[in-house]
Amino acid sequence: MAEHHAASDGKHKASANAGGSVHGNSRPGAAGGGGGGGGGKGGLSGGLTQPAGWQSLLSFSILFLACLAGFSSRLFAVIRFESIIHEFDPWFNYRSTHHLTTNGFFEFLNWFDERAWYPLGRIVGGTVYPGLMVTAGLIHYVLNLLHITVHIRDVCVFLAPVFSGLTAISTFLLTRELWNQGAGLLAACFIAIVPGYISRSVAGSFDNEGIAIFALQFTYYLWVKSVKTGSVFWTIGCCLSYFYMVSAWGGYVFIINLIPLHVFVLLLMQRYSRRVYIAYSTFYIVGLILSMQIPFVGFQPIRTSEHMAAAGVFALLQAYAFLQYLKDRLTRQEFQTLFFLGVSLAAGVVFLTVIYLTYTGIYAKIHIPIIASVSEHQPTTWVSFFFDLHILVCTFPAGLWFCIKNINDERVFVALYAISAVYFAGVMVRLMLTLTPVVCMLSAVAFSSVFEHYMGDDTKREKPPAEDSSDEDDKRNSGNLYDKAGKVRKHVSEQEKAEEGLGPNVKSIVTMLMLMLLMMFAVHCTWVTSNAYSSPSVVLASYNHDGTRNILDDFREAYYWLRQNTDEHARVMSWWDYGYQIAGMANRTTLVDNNTWNNSHIALVGKAMSSNESAAYQIMRSLDVDYVLIIFGGVIGYSGDDINKFLWMVRIAEGEHPKDIRESDYFTPQGEFRVDKAGSPTLLNCLMYKMSYYRFGEMQLDFRTPPGFDRTRNAEIGNKDIKFKHLEEAFTSEHWLVRIYKVKNLDNREPLDHKLRSVVPKQKYTSKKVAGHILFCCFNQK
Amino acid sequence: MPLYPVESEGNNLLSEKVDQMMEWSSRRSVVRMNGDKFRRFVKAPPRNYSVIVMFTALQPQRQCSVCRQANEEYQVLANSWRYSSAFSNKLFFTVVDYDEGADVFQQLNMNSAPTFMHFPAKGKPKRADTFDLQRIGFASEQLAKWIADRTDVQIRVFRPPNYSGTIALALLVSLVGGLLYLRRNNLEFIYNKTGWAMAALCVVFAMTSGQMWNHIRGPPYAHKNPQNGQVSYIHGSSQAQFVAESHIILLLNAAITMGMVLLNEAATSKGDVGKRRIICLVGLGLVVFFFSFLLSIFRSKYHGYPYSFLIK
Repeated sequence: MAEHHAASDGKHKASANAGGSVHGNSRPGAAGGGGGGGGGKGGLSGGLTQPAGWQSLLSFSILFLACLAGFSSRLFAVIRFESIIHEFDPWFNYRSTHHLTTNGFFEFLNWFDERAWYPLGRIVGGTVYPGLMVTAGLIHYVLNLLHITVHIRDVCVFLAPVFSGLTAISTFLLTRELWNQGAGLLAACFIAIVPGYISRSVAGSFDNEGIAIFALQFTYYLWVKSVKTGSVFWTIGCCLSYFYMVSAWGGYVFIINLIPLHVFVLLLMQRYSRRVYIAYSTFYIVGLILSMQIPFVGFQPIRTSEHMAAAGVFALLQAYAFLQYLKDRLTRQEFQTLFFLGVSLAAGVVFLTVIYLTYTGIYAKIHIPIIASVSEHQPTTWVSFFFDLHILVCTFPAGLWFCIKNINDERVFVALYAISAVYFAGVMVRLMLTLTPVVCMLSAVAFSSVFEHYMGDDTKREKPPAEDSSDEDDKRNSGNLYDKAGKVRKHVSEQEKAEEGLGPNVKSIVTMLMLMLLMMFAVHCTWVTSNAYSSPSVVLASYNHDGTRNILDDFREAYYWLRQNTDEHARVMSWWDYGYQIAGMANRTTLVDNNTWNNSHIALVGKAMSSNESAAYQIMRSLDVDYVLIIFGGVIGYSGDDINKFLWMVRIAEGEHPKDIRESDYFTPQGEFRVDKAGSPTLLNCLMYKMSYYRFGEMQLDFRTPPGFDRTRNAEIGNKDIKFKHLEEAFTSEHWLVRIYKVKNLDNREPLDHKLRSVVPKQKYTSKKVAGHILFCCFNQK
Repeated sequence: MPLYPVESEGNNLLSEKVDQMMEWSSRRSVVRMNGDKFRRFVKAPPRNYSVIVMFTALQPQRQCSVCRQANEEYQVLANSWRYSSAFSNKLFFTVVDYDEGADVFQQLNMNSAPTFMHFPAKGKPKRADTFDLQRIGFASEQLAKWIADRTDVQIRVFRPPNYSGTIALALLVSLVGGLLYLRRNNLEFIYNKTGWAMAALCVVFAMTSGQMWNHIRGPPYAHKNPQNGQVSYIHGSSQAQFVAESHIILLLNAAITMGMVLLNEAATSKGDVGKRRIICLVGLGLVVFFFSFLLSIFRSKYHGYPYSFLIK
């Protein structure tokens, strides 16, 4: 499959660009305009009477275009295939949302799902973050209220692209607070198309992260706003946004650690102010109470170690504020300083321990097989960084540099955000998602400060351009030394001198090359989105040599077969990757699914798959299995099939049943994993092998290859004579991608005495095998 | 433990051998053996104890770095056994060095070191009694698992705690504290933004160049092709990287960042115009050249990536 893909990239890309290049090309222009809007307004202000009006029109349209670009570049999968839910976890979310919309909210909270984890079942209402389902359900409800009848599936499919537009807006707001409007617009353009975020938010990927990044950015915006203003209004807004984040994603822990860290560092830098005190005290208390309203979170915020830092900083802030209060009344300065030192040291130690604990926790988790088997829990190579962020990864340190050099309260925040997020992204590749927004913001800062200096024309300005300062901002600015308006004025005065020197040629060269880099970024983003992140993985596509496309719809074919042809309460055993899809599409009971909370249950399934048929039958009988579903890619060369995952099944099974399953048994003496004749006999007779290759030996795919040639592993299979005793083939999909077997009931027992009588006289002329059989019978008789 | 039905003379011999082995292993947890000792205590029949033998080549002139690492793990395991409460005369750890017992290597037809073998108390070693070093590696936990599998002796591996990290941290803290104390009259340098910005950038560069991946996965520094002796610094696949490669990327990222900063400096700083123009062009050159270089490295690793800039 992968090879098909790579070989046909050329044609593939051509069609991709037809869909995406309109937006891809519009962005660098828009970005440049944003930079110009921020810095080079001299020309505009000279000729037009109301530059502020032009500026806001320009900003609005750029922002609108960014949202539109973000929305439409996520639609590759919908255009190429159809409006369909992708991958694995989204199927569960979709199923839950469906349950929510049909049965109502309270029924959803109490939902006990007896179709998962047979025979255990799963309490869904108490073990999910309901934000995603409630959001989709609410949108569906409102649309239906307005008599716009859409299916809930379409709401789910398009939710993530819509929210990515909102993310662009909240990133704009946050960056505007941190730097200026031009940087904000650039950041909005970046986040709209950056692959690191698109990877989790394409249309159809109905997952928590899609809405969580919006909530994350919006919470941070409101937090920065409340630290700047010190008003309870903004802080309550921040808490509500935090509440939404807690309801949506487990990554809220990042917020509840980053905000206290910000406050703590502000204290260390002696930037304590009443604004900080009001903001953090309100945030901690209201945020804590709100977060405990989510059933899945419950009392965790006051119990677990990852929330303790917030509580510690809250106590520290109260102590510090009290000392500040005393300081006005007392004169013993030294005592106070010492006290402060002691308190801050103690808090620092607490902080370090917490960080250490989290670090070791993450580190330990990496080595548990079931977690190690998930590819997104791996550490990150530089290639992934570059792939997901392209030029932003090289330029965002420059933005960080500018922020630290011109530090103020909110830039402390963004610096801490950058450093912690980059650390976590280095440890685990899936946390690239939390790094992406801050990289976009800081890169935007770097690019916008370059554009600001190099895009302005050389004519001297009549007056410094009015910055995006509303009345409220101006009032506040008078009290602050480090506010942005002051900085901009300084820039302008310097710029005027600078512009005498550098000359138009150098400036235009710099601008051109920078725009070219941004253009390459946009092209890269479109290419990555189209090629790497837009495959639904439920429907596959392959390309012929002449560029025509074959759709391989085996998964849905098989799931609908299950839905139509099996008993409603039939139990289907499969590896855990397919649990959610079976539940969602086939509506049948599964034994294990992608919510991998019960390792021993998964190990039992792994053991059944890796044992021989009779041992597996025992296990399957004890688990009441009716059907077994496996994925087999040998016919079309699909590399993500069960034989390639098989070693993980063996490893997980070995972890729980070391006496019965040994990984080394599945290797050749040379330590290779082979499916051909040289493969180990244990492998060649285990259930998974037999189910995958049953009757495959009769099939000749190609005239150049022998019958039974596996295209995925490029080998002729070693065991072509496969017969089942306890199973029978029930269904095989068109390209053999999905194979379903029915587990037979126990054989009827034959009456013993009758059998004995007929068998005993034959003793003289039977072969050794039958003789053994008789011996067994005689033994039974005794 | 299965005992051989031996006559009194053999019994004496056996107890003598056990005593000798016990004495040696109480002195050192891993018993060193030469050819004669090996034949007498490990190969010769009256035996009621299992022996784990590591065949190795530890002499410096053999230049076997794997042997040294394997030896460390082996020592950890042997010490865990030696000082565990379950220590008994059923299991002994021994080592045969190639330079002391080359005849043993020839006798066992062994041509690679290190090799771990188990000599059971009864019978001849089977295929599974040779530890599969290629596949499992030589971590002492894996060795302990293998031994438990072969002899039913469970060894809980106890690694001597590694204090170096703690000591380094304490040293760093005391150094910083001492520095602060010495310069307590002039603490201005704490407010130096450049220093803090540098520190922040160091963290960022280390992470974005994949140093954490190196830390967890431990890749080789670079790869030397055994056929033609060419050294490649860049890993061919996008799934992995070498240490040298991540250092190169770190430098490239830093150069691009510096270019951006220089561009900004050139526009904002006051001073000679010509000088500033040069700074500006240098900055631009850094950004453009090193970015295209980075892109070409990425392209060579990520097969099928269509775009490049200046450099192919």
